[in-house]
Amino acid sequence: MNFLKKFGITNSIVLFICIILLLLEFTVDRHGETELEDLLFFPAFFGFVSCIIIFKVGVALRSVFMRDEDYYDK
Amino acid sequence: MFLGSFLIPFFPHFFRQIYMILLIIISAFSLTAGSGTHLTLNSMGIDFIIFHSDNLSFPFAIVFHIAAFLTVIYGIHNRDWRENVAITSYAGAAIAALHAGDLFTLFVWWEATALTSVFLIFGGKSLRAYKSAIRYIIIQVGSGMLLLSGGIILFHSNNEALFQNFSIQTTSGLLIFLAFGIKAAFPFLNGWLQDSYPEASEVGTVALSAFTTKLAIYALARSFAGTEILIIIGALMTFFPIFFAVIENDLRRVLTYSLNNQLGFMVVAVGIGSELAINGAVAHAFAHIIYKGLLFMSMGAVLYRVGTCKASELGGLFKHMPITAICSIIGAISISAFPLFSGFVAKSLIMSSLGYEGLTFIYFMLLFASAGVLHHSGIKIPFFAFFAHESGLKPNEAPINMIIAMLISALLCILIGIFPSIFYQILPYKIDYQPYDFSHVLSQLQLLTFAAFAFICLWFFKIYPPELNSTVLNSDWFYRRMIPGVIKPLILGIIDLNKKVVEIIFKYFINFEKFVSDLMFKNRIFDRETGYDTLILVQVFCVILFYLLIVQFI
Repeated sequence: MNFLKKFGITNSIVLFICIILLLLEFTVDRHGETELEDLLFFPAFFGFVSCIIIFKVGVALRSVFMRDEDYYDK
Repeated sequence: MFLGSFLIPFFPHFFRQIYMILLIIISAFSLTAGSGTHLTLNSMGIDFIIFHSDNLSFPFAIVFHIAAFLTVIYGIHNRDWRENVAITSYAGAAIAALHAGDLFTLFVWWEATALTSVFLIFGGKSLRAYKSAIRYIIIQVGSGMLLLSGGIILFHSNNEALFQNFSIQTTSGLLIFLAFGIKAAFPFLNGWLQDSYPEASEVGTVALSAFTTKLAIYALARSFAGTEILIIIGALMTFFPIFFAVIENDLRRVLTYSLNNQLGFMVVAVGIGSELAINGAVAHAFAHIIYKGLLFMSMGAVLYRVGTCKASELGGLFKHMPITAICSIIGAISISAFPLFSGFVAKSLIMSSLGYEGLTFIYFMLLFASAGVLHHSGIKIPFFAFFAHESGLKPNEAPINMIIAMLISALLCILIGIFPSIFYQILPYKIDYQPYDFSHVLSQLQLLTFAAFAFICLWFFKIYPPELNSTVLNSDWFYRRMIPGVIKPLILGIIDLNKKVVEIIFKYFINFEKFVSDLMFKNRIFDRETGYDTLILVQVFCVILFYLLIVQFI
């Protein structure tokens, strides 16, 4: 409960929705466009991991593609 | 509409706005024309098909009119008549291009969209905007030249240049493909998009986001549907801009990367070429024009009130601009393809067509890109502008005309999402497709909600780095830095070499002259009397030699 308080109302609501969506998985025969998608919790796992990968790659690319704001004006 | 726009400067501000809306309404009557060729013009022995309408051009024509109307409403506060002319003529040219039946007519309107839209970038009224506009027009006109070249080659071989299906195996097809590819912002041809759009004024960017790139998607759908290379090109387009959008600080520029990514979805669908996929491409273009316009409108309102769109300088604006924030969130939810919003019913068609065709790898690339869209457009845009940290800015809410335009756009996003069956009726092919399958909805919700939860975790645990004022290198680096970086030293080297060669020639010439003068005057070999005779003899020999050379080679 303490953690949820610290986590914030909006974030806790999102966490709650996430749990509900995982539970709903057991009430419906979920099927995707590919067989891989039919694995248990696959979309949830894919969404979470994709977002982390995008963030990690994005941060790594900062050193490659990021320049000073006036880079082209010099 | 294009011609009528040239009368705009003669009206005072208030009547100008009414006149612009009237022009759009009059132009909208063309939507009732029905399928077929309605206007042709014969000139120079060529049949120019000026107005041709069919199932493919119809949905684009509808959404172009909607976009033009919303842009005019959004820009009512703008007293710059030059931008008013540019917006109306640009929209008119884009609508006319949709109805072109041959490549030469298309070329005229293709270039007209470039020439009119460049004034919207000049409207940024800064040195950066000016330089960017020059680069923009060079690239856009270059695209038109490729289109014209393709059209001429085609006309030379077929004696006609109809705007129809082409193969990239032919020279003309390849040139036309490249012309369309530049405007559709293919990988490495996309630099102009991120370079120029964020430099325009707040109204100009909204107009720019609607027409040029979607005209290219329409052209690709008409001429290159089923061209397999488009699947790979489109997948790359969905993939790479995500990472650039994540590190970009200027939120309007983030939206241009997002625009590029969304175009990728459409290009993939065109590459598949099935009826479902073409419907998906058209539906996505339609929905995209509205939600992307909405996002650009909300960021434009922030720019108008605050004077910046940099994530590092914004934050906490929800309290001061709540309506703009809510509209921005609706746009963000739509682009992220949450169920009950327009993005979902449009993107589902593309994803399903990929599934039906068994293109698993591309399917997962686009699924990954969908999570990316949520990250950079769904969360980053509204979060950094309206929430995140407190920036200390206390602007007023956006002007009423901006709010009206944003509310209409937001309403359209929701209506399309709630009533997909009505929306699907305007698509090129009649299909029986149900996007609201419980399993499909659950999968999509899981994907998006968990992606959002990942962002929350990154932010909460302070792993997400702060946004920094920076320039992110893009493909425009090649012609802004690399080519000048190579050509400038090359030209300087040539100038230096030229200078040295001239110096050497002069040195030897002076030495030779001294040698001859010594011969003539010191040694008296060629003194005045014998000098003339020798000169005449030399001249005669030269003439004979010249004659022999000519006889030898002719």
